[in-house]
Amino acid sequence: MESLELKEINKTFGSQTNLVHALKDVNFSAQSGQLTLILGPSGSGKSTLLTILGGLQRPTSGDVSINGKNINRLTSKEADNFRLNHIGFVLQSYNLVPYLTVAEQFALVNKVKRSGNLDQTVFDSYLDRLGITQLLAKYPGELSGGQTQRVAIARALYTNPDFILADEPTAALDSHRVDEVGQLFKDIAVQEDKAVVVVTHDLRLKNYADKIYQLVDGQINISEL
Amino acid sequence: MFLALHEIKKEKLRYGLVIAVIMMIAYLIFILSSLALGLANENTAAVNSWQSQSVVMSKDANGDLSQSLLTQADVNKVGDKQADLLALTPGILKHGSTRDSAMFVGVDQTAQVSKTIKLSQGRLWQKPTEVVVSSKLADQGVRLGQQITVGLSQQKLTVVGFAKNAEYNMAPIVYGDRSQWSAIKGVTNSFVGSGLVSQKQLKTQQSGLQVYSKAALFDKMPGYSAQNKTFVFMIAFLIIISIVIVAIFLYILTVQKMENFAVLRAQGIPSSYLILNTLVQTIVMMVVAVVISMALALGTSAIIPAAVPMYFDFTLIGLTGLALVVMGMIGAIIPMRIIAKIDPVTVIGG
Repeated sequence: MESLELKEINKTFGSQTNLVHALKDVNFSAQSGQLTLILGPSGSGKSTLLTILGGLQRPTSGDVSINGKNINRLTSKEADNFRLNHIGFVLQSYNLVPYLTVAEQFALVNKVKRSGNLDQTVFDSYLDRLGITQLLAKYPGELSGGQTQRVAIARALYTNPDFILADEPTAALDSHRVDEVGQLFKDIAVQEDKAVVVVTHDLRLKNYADKIYQLVDGQINISEL
Repeated sequence: MFLALHEIKKEKLRYGLVIAVIMMIAYLIFILSSLALGLANENTAAVNSWQSQSVVMSKDANGDLSQSLLTQADVNKVGDKQADLLALTPGILKHGSTRDSAMFVGVDQTAQVSKTIKLSQGRLWQKPTEVVVSSKLADQGVRLGQQITVGLSQQKLTVVGFAKNAEYNMAPIVYGDRSQWSAIKGVTNSFVGSGLVSQKQLKTQQSGLQVYSKAALFDKMPGYSAQNKTFVFMIAFLIIISIVIVAIFLYILTVQKMENFAVLRAQGIPSSYLILNTLVQTIVMMVVAVVISMALALGTSAIIPAAVPMYFDFTLIGLTGLALVVMGMIGAIIPMRIIAKIDPVTVIGG
């Protein structure tokens, strides 16, 4: 079982007079097969937490570990490799390269990560389930918001990562699409045995979560389902 | 490479316009370079064809061979007995009712220089009353067999041949027998010529004489140095402009793609890949622009009137093109630094 764990994480920004304590003694864990939700209002520290989970920032103190292995001290190159091989990011916007077709988005991944990606048969079944097989020749500018988000999810899955980290994936989606994306993340977690972490303030995703954390003013609490 | 080529393919208009601007600058650089060479060639073509290494002339001429006057005693002072004695003077060439400026170059028939003259038509002179003229004069209406007069002399001279690369200090050359020179220039027979042209690097400490290397001779030609420096300045300035333009375009294009690059960085794509992508894009744009502008410049030289002196030295044009590509790569340094500093954190949290 894959697991991503934060222990006693603190993150501060600025100097003494303008010190901002973005995260305070945060303990967190996400396991494969589960959809973990981090809920919180704007400015609560959700994005900071996500960047630390994804190896984009180092905490001021505390430990970040994957399957028990501490990843706090990765060099920039090691962090790139870590993200490329273990993390699939689904972001709020700019997920797709505008001048590449949907098929070319995956070809780009192949250029950088030459092995360990999903094999074509498995990936074709993903594309089918995500309903984007017929979109392969289209450019991002020709896709709707929901289609773009589904392609972004496929792009994140293509590298066969252990963890999917999603940042406000339902922003700008209507209720029907929110349910669609929520169910999709749930399916990916359960059926593909991935640890899916979704940072959001969209309470409509609660129905699909296995575990919910509430983040307020940098402090995290596990919440009742 | 993958990203670079796909972006250019998708954004044809955007990159087409950028390439068009670079192409116009490159075209201007090539046209100016070929004009500079063409003009320089009109000053130096004849001297280069003589295959000379040094020229001895009178000190008072201050390096202007056509103003130099040598006596037989001066000639005897020079050690190199193989050196050719040339007799130059500017003069008006009259053919029919037409007058053209020309440079008379008197040479002995046995001189080495006369063997270096490349004929485009006709033959070398065999009598003192025969001359070979620059093929440029054919464009001015001079014909084989036509009788002409040059300078102050009333002696009719018959054109028996046309020579290629026969220009000296912008003037078309009339090659003829040295015996005609004193009458054309209007000097007494005590002067035998203007300078001794040698294929060796001569050194003389003789009073009243001065040795000039080929480069020094060119530098002393009236207007030659100033003209060349003006062109070099214009070309250098255009090359600097090309760096700035490439840097501005790439900077704008990079800033427009910052969010996408940041997402790619977040997804683990190394910044070195994105930097290489920008470099490849720059090279592709520059090479396409340079190749098109070279073709355009060659086309221009083919249709431009013969009165405009353009000369294409493919080695120099190739090196200038290569320099432009390198300048483009230098212009890409700022955008590449921006990419290297992209913080993927900026795209998290929208």
